[in-house]
Amino acid sequence: MAHVGHRVDYLAGFCCPVGGLAAGKPRVLCHENEIYLSNGSEFVYVYDQEGKVLKAIYRFPDQVWHVELLPLHRKLYILCAGTGIYCVSLDQQSRLLKQTDGDGKEDACPSSVFPIDSDACIVPDVTLCTFTLLNDVLITLSQAQDQWWVKLHVLLDPDQESQPCRQISQVGFSTCDQTGDDGDALSSHFLPVLCCASAPGTAGPGEGLWCSGGFTLEEPLFSLLFGIDAAMLDSPMILCGFPDGQLCCVPLKALNSSEAVDGCSEVAGQAPPVKILHHLEEPVVFIGALRTEHKAPDDPDDEQLFGDSGCDCVVVVGHYGKMVAMKAERGEEAKVPEVREYYLQGPILCAACGGGSRMYYSTHSDISAVDLDWVSNASDPENIDNTAYVLPPVLSPASLSICSVVALSLSSRASEGDSELLALSAKGRLMSCDLCSPDDAHPVRLTPEKAGQRIKELLSGIGNVSERVSFLKKAVDQKNRALTSLNQVMNVSAALLSNQDGRKPVTCTVTASWSRLLLQDTWTISCVLENSSEYCLEQGWTLCVQLFMSSCAFDEDSADSATTFTFPIDQLLPGSKKEVTLPLGTAEGTKLELPLTVSCALFYSLREILDSASDSYESLDDLLPDDSPGLSPDKEGICLPLSKCTIDILQCLRLDDGTVPGAPPSIATLSDPVETFLKVSRVQSDPSSVEVSDQLLPKAPDALGDEYLPPSVASIKVSSELLKNALKSFCEGW
Amino acid sequence: MDSSWGLSPSPCWVRQGRAGWSLASLTVSLNSELNFIASRQAGRSSGPGRAAQQAARRCRLAFDSLLRKIQGLPAALPSLSLELTVLYNSLLFAVSESDGLVEGEAERINHGLIRVLEACGVSGQDLSTEELWQKVLQDVTTEELCAPLHRLGALQGAVWLAANCLGSVTGLFRLLSDTKDPLPSAHGGENELLALLKAWSVPVEGDTSPLVVQSTKDLKEILWTSAAFLQGLQGLEAGNLPTALSLLQAATSGFCSKRVLAQIYTSIGCCTQQMGKPQTALQHLKRALQVDFQCLSALSQAALVYRQLGETDAELEALALLYKALETPAQETVSIDPCFLIRTELLVHTPALASLFSRSHPSEVKYLLAQRCLQAGRVAEAVEHYLDLLALLQEGPQHQVPLHGRSALPRIPEVFLEAASALEQLGRHQDAIAVCEEIISRTDDLIPETLRIELDSSAGGEAPGRAGSPSPGIPPQQRESLRCIVWRAAAYLHQGWAWTRLGESKEAITRFTRCLNVLLRVQLVSAASIHSSEEMAEALPEAKVLQKIRLLALLGRGSQFQELGRDKEALMNFQHSLQVCPGDPAATSHLLRTLWKLNRRQEAAALWQKLHADAAPADGQQEAPGRCVRCLVAAAITRPRHELQSCQVEALPIVPGVMSKAGEPPTRRISC
Repeated sequence: MAHVGHRVDYLAGFCCPVGGLAAGKPRVLCHENEIYLSNGSEFVYVYDQEGKVLKAIYRFPDQVWHVELLPLHRKLYILCAGTGIYCVSLDQQSRLLKQTDGDGKEDACPSSVFPIDSDACIVPDVTLCTFTLLNDVLITLSQAQDQWWVKLHVLLDPDQESQPCRQISQVGFSTCDQTGDDGDALSSHFLPVLCCASAPGTAGPGEGLWCSGGFTLEEPLFSLLFGIDAAMLDSPMILCGFPDGQLCCVPLKALNSSEAVDGCSEVAGQAPPVKILHHLEEPVVFIGALRTEHKAPDDPDDEQLFGDSGCDCVVVVGHYGKMVAMKAERGEEAKVPEVREYYLQGPILCAACGGGSRMYYSTHSDISAVDLDWVSNASDPENIDNTAYVLPPVLSPASLSICSVVALSLSSRASEGDSELLALSAKGRLMSCDLCSPDDAHPVRLTPEKAGQRIKELLSGIGNVSERVSFLKKAVDQKNRALTSLNQVMNVSAALLSNQDGRKPVTCTVTASWSRLLLQDTWTISCVLENSSEYCLEQGWTLCVQLFMSSCAFDEDSADSATTFTFPIDQLLPGSKKEVTLPLGTAEGTKLELPLTVSCALFYSLREILDSASDSYESLDDLLPDDSPGLSPDKEGICLPLSKCTIDILQCLRLDDGTVPGAPPSIATLSDPVETFLKVSRVQSDPSSVEVSDQLLPKAPDALGDEYLPPSVASIKVSSELLKNALKSFCEGW
Repeated sequence: MDSSWGLSPSPCWVRQGRAGWSLASLTVSLNSELNFIASRQAGRSSGPGRAAQQAARRCRLAFDSLLRKIQGLPAALPSLSLELTVLYNSLLFAVSESDGLVEGEAERINHGLIRVLEACGVSGQDLSTEELWQKVLQDVTTEELCAPLHRLGALQGAVWLAANCLGSVTGLFRLLSDTKDPLPSAHGGENELLALLKAWSVPVEGDTSPLVVQSTKDLKEILWTSAAFLQGLQGLEAGNLPTALSLLQAATSGFCSKRVLAQIYTSIGCCTQQMGKPQTALQHLKRALQVDFQCLSALSQAALVYRQLGETDAELEALALLYKALETPAQETVSIDPCFLIRTELLVHTPALASLFSRSHPSEVKYLLAQRCLQAGRVAEAVEHYLDLLALLQEGPQHQVPLHGRSALPRIPEVFLEAASALEQLGRHQDAIAVCEEIISRTDDLIPETLRIELDSSAGGEAPGRAGSPSPGIPPQQRESLRCIVWRAAAYLHQGWAWTRLGESKEAITRFTRCLNVLLRVQLVSAASIHSSEEMAEALPEAKVLQKIRLLALLGRGSQFQELGRDKEALMNFQHSLQVCPGDPAATSHLLRTLWKLNRRQEAAALWQKLHADAAPADGQQEAPGRCVRCLVAAAITRPRHELQSCQVEALPIVPGVMSKAGEPPTRRISC
């Protein structure tokens, strides 16, 4: 697993938003000595690796989604969100460039920012999602009218033609199964992935293909994957990976479908030239190709060819770590490509591969390399014959110890193989990682220059390690905090849920009373939350008071309306109380619909702590089974019901003892008459002490002793006269 | 037409004065919008293409924002006329820009109508568009709203026409022309919608009313033409040919662009051809081409008619012309004529139109040319065309190749096989061998060692389509493998024949043997219900082809053995071939000759007698149609004629079925 010792150099820092760069849109391209970089903002940077200076900054009207380079014409193609594809000639930059000062390490001075206006827009199309280039054709993928459209444009010579490009052909198709509800939110984070697979022997200059993420596939894989027609036409194939996980292909030379005359092809989902290769069931983040078989080294001709020969394995990587490798099987029986699924640790932010047998992928915490060269790994030479040239059954990722990289690119600068990995971290740092195996390096005597170089390397290594440590430490702290909070929550929940019958350790008492607020008499509900448990209610808990206004008898149709008031609890230590008051209505104010049911509950949102502790949205579902008690229905958090009581007209009734009209009653002394009645009736046998006329059966239960307790029935009758008086004065107002 | 363009500020100012304060706020914004409109006129003069499109787009945006401002205010009667006109103009631009009518337009009309009702104090919620129109046209009697409403009505008609809702259009125009009952179809059985459209009198627009981008009168004309054309096409689709013909003929008198007129003539040609009047069809197709030479589907239709008439020269000429026209890059004809934002092109959408006028690809036409030449026996031309086609297929992505199911082009290996057979007929054996070698090398990795196919009796009667058309019995993967085997075997067979013609018997024997070996990889396992080979062929058309190829390979190998003087081996091959196809005349005659040569005369005589007895019922055999059979056709055509004739026993037909198949016109229609 450990594969330590790669040299990492920081090249430059680029500005990044507060939360760090998000994966998907940033892009790093490398051609010769120049690095072309977009960090998901509206800027595209050109960085000279040799001179370590920032050569140019281009500013586009909107967020940059995708960048491709056409090295042959020295042109950059940039997809701008919601506007279209722009073309920037790199030869012009020297003319435009005002001299920047030598230090390009930090953000260059704003004078060197070239604003790009809409004249440079060669394909104005708001529906574009991504594009790729193959020599002088531009292939775009857009989404319109519930369909995906692959369109083919030919780039024209601007000197001779009036238009910068001309659309040749297009094909529309739908990835039918995920147009629905829940997928959209997730899918919208991701852009589709597009790349070109050339047939063997048709690729022109290899680097053009390589730059735009395209590759050449060897036979027989090409024919097996894409069919004999595409192979005999020598047609490059366009591979599209969609956010819903589908991987489709369509031949570049047959980008047309029969118009859906009878609607048959619509029903089938795919127009005939479009073929579904696989369904990953998670957003596709990368499509690439590897060369897993090494030619026999003893054959010098093959050795010569090795650089140019195609790849023999297609890999597709999904966001949550599913990786699919497709390779031609050498078995004699079935002539189908072998498709093998691997599960890497997700979420995968980006990946890169460059002609060798290794694929590099980045998660939040690390860059890892997986090697699909199975033969070299086979320990038992006898097995090679049986299992020769198939894909390895499991992958063992090797760590590169570089964290939170959001864009990766393999540099082809050195003459052989994968040599250098360019990475853009979430903090906006551009790094290069030397991939030459440390074993190969021969120990040499240190000369002073080399010692200086070595020290530089070590320092940069220390910088890298410290960044990694700080990242990991942050992650660990976050997880610890989350665990502590969870522990608290579980304790409280257990205490509340375990003794259902007895007295609950956390109680909430609801009382309704009149009070005087701002010179108005207001009927309020006060809830007293008392924590008699041994745990502290920490921040994150919320007291929810829900009021159900039950529908009136004469208005059957109106549904019960519920209002929820939430009060965040900062901290409630054991033994302490917290009171919250809800005004329900003023005397003159709105009509109250009684009876009123008040239900109190404690709520703890799990989303917050779990989100901070992990990136995966699924974790909550995995963590808690569906039938856990106390879990709120939407699984957002834990909900613990405390108490429920009904408030009726009796509690609302205010009996005016003051007979002098105009004089405000002393509200403070006024207590709930019913409470008073019940209290009194327990100790006194004389019911007449209350103002209301009443009957009590049986009288004085206390007198009969505790062992005999017949069901006590109380009925309270309010004299209509009294009520009338009260209501009259109520209606007249004070 | 230019009068509609003189959109000067004055009418709007007049309206504003009347509308009072609510419109006063619009004064400032109107000024800016009018600047846009002035710039739009500039765009018009600057020529077609992108500039005009951009100008139209700016206009749409301007009208949209103006409309938003107006609709931000509560609906009021005095300003409604202006509002409806702005809505109309804005919709016109939206329609012309999107090159078709989309959902949004219908809703915007709805919204406009609801606002009209609001202004009149009537609620229009929850009504369908049809009900809304009814309510609006019945309840709103204000004189000055009449013209804008009728104008909007015409636009609504266009929207419904584009959505093929003929019933709704008819209903609407009944309301607009104030006809309560369905028009009596008394006068000559004329179409009701057309009659209604004709009867509808466009309200006269006063001088002070705001100006419009396209006048209602023009729109009426265009609606009439579109309605006639659309219904004619629908009749054509439904097979109701006489009605279709009369409607289409009516449409030719309408108001439309040359392009549409050519399309109408082509449709008439198509219609009359189906009615069995090829000469009339040709006349109409010619007229279509006279009107618009870019109407290439008229050319391809003409080729089809000539084929029916058996005029191969004319047919090939038409196809060649078509190819030439397709080769020259199409001119950018689609430019927005600002006077006609709504055009017939935008309103007529039917499957028939799409299939009739879908643009064919050069490679399709080239293939048809090559194939027709080969079938007509013009081998040299055919070879030229096939070689051109192969070059075309190898060209870059600019030349698109139709690979979809409706394409005239068969699968690519079949094109190669046909090319090889043409080359061979011309005597270019080495070239034929090279072309076949390409197929052989391409299929090398795609065919399994053994292909075991279980035939189900239920898997019958299905025509082998391109990729897909999943047969119930055989998984598509297996079918594709089987096809690869057939192509590879056919390629070896051709190579064998080519070597035979070159006099290289040993090479030829090697190829025939390889061909037979490839065929041996297929194991057809039939269910109990399938007994005879006919039934098997029915279940799997490729099986029939496999048998034929095996027979031909055995015969070819046998005669090459004979050539080398190895009569016994030749005899074995011929005997084997008779087992493959019992009663096959060519096999029998070969066997007969060999037996005679080997001095086994009694056996020969017995065989001859048996053959004579069976000869009569032997022709009844017909082949299942299909693409794979066609590659056999190609194989059969190539077959060196003299070789068969040299061993022919008199009164025996040469490979029945196969030859007859070659002369038959292909069933597929050219779709251009």
